[in-house]
Amino acid sequence: MNKKNIRFLIVEDDEMIRLIHKDFLKDLYPGSEIIEAENGAQGICHYFENHPNIILLDMMMPIMGGEAFLDILEEGHQCNILKDKPKIIVVTAIKEVKELMNIGKRFAVEAVISKPLVQNQLKSLLKDWIS
Amino acid sequence: MINLTLPKNDDFMAAPVFEIEKALNRIHNKKELLERVVDIFVKSLHERKDILENELNNENWETLGTIAHSIKGSSWTIGAQKLGNIAYEMEKAADLKELTRFRRLFQIFQTAAQEFIEFDKKF
Repeated sequence: MNKKNIRFLIVEDDEMIRLIHKDFLKDLYPGSEIIEAENGAQGICHYFENHPNIILLDMMMPIMGGEAFLDILEEGHQCNILKDKPKIIVVTAIKEVKELMNIGKRFAVEAVISKPLVQNQLKSLLKDWIS
Repeated sequence: MINLTLPKNDDFMAAPVFEIEKALNRIHNKKELLERVVDIFVKSLHERKDILENELNNENWETLGTIAHSIKGSSWTIGAQKLGNIAYEMEKAADLKELTRFRRLFQIFQTAAQEFIEFDKKF
């Protein structure tokens, strides 16, 4: 992935956390495009519209949560409707280890990070993927 | 398992109201960003309190759990440890549908939210 044309999608219901993610990503990759969604349903729409490379995904959100968002992407991929596989980083306040491990095994999920987010953790992940 | 002991305000006294340094560290010491973030947080506290109040009357446990979970995440992110800890207990009470416990925690939450707002005003 080239940092000049990278597209991020932030799927997070909390405006405050979206702002923190966005500020961090803009600093790290000034030329990137950052798209925001307040829930999984908006996230799916933005996904089809913009084809983001990397998705920061919250799990518990009103209207549609991260679980359903992942279900739709997985189904689309299995049916060959979706060709590209994004890299998904789940950022969640879920504390149950078993639940976190199950999320980590989901389609396209590359990492699961606990809230409060440690930005250096995210930074080192992104550096492995983006040149 | 249902917890029969009702929570008290004192149970959460040890947790800091607002750890500003921690919050600043988390966002690379950007004071202006912290101000914006705190403004959004305080606004959301008012909105979420109203939603919790309504949904508690309807005993809508799913929404109560989701809102408590959101408060927990944003509170811990901003360094509002006490509010985050209370919200965490609210989330667990919603999961177990413990009405009396949730009501008590909601009272404690409202006091702590006011305490956070007053603390923030001083800074």
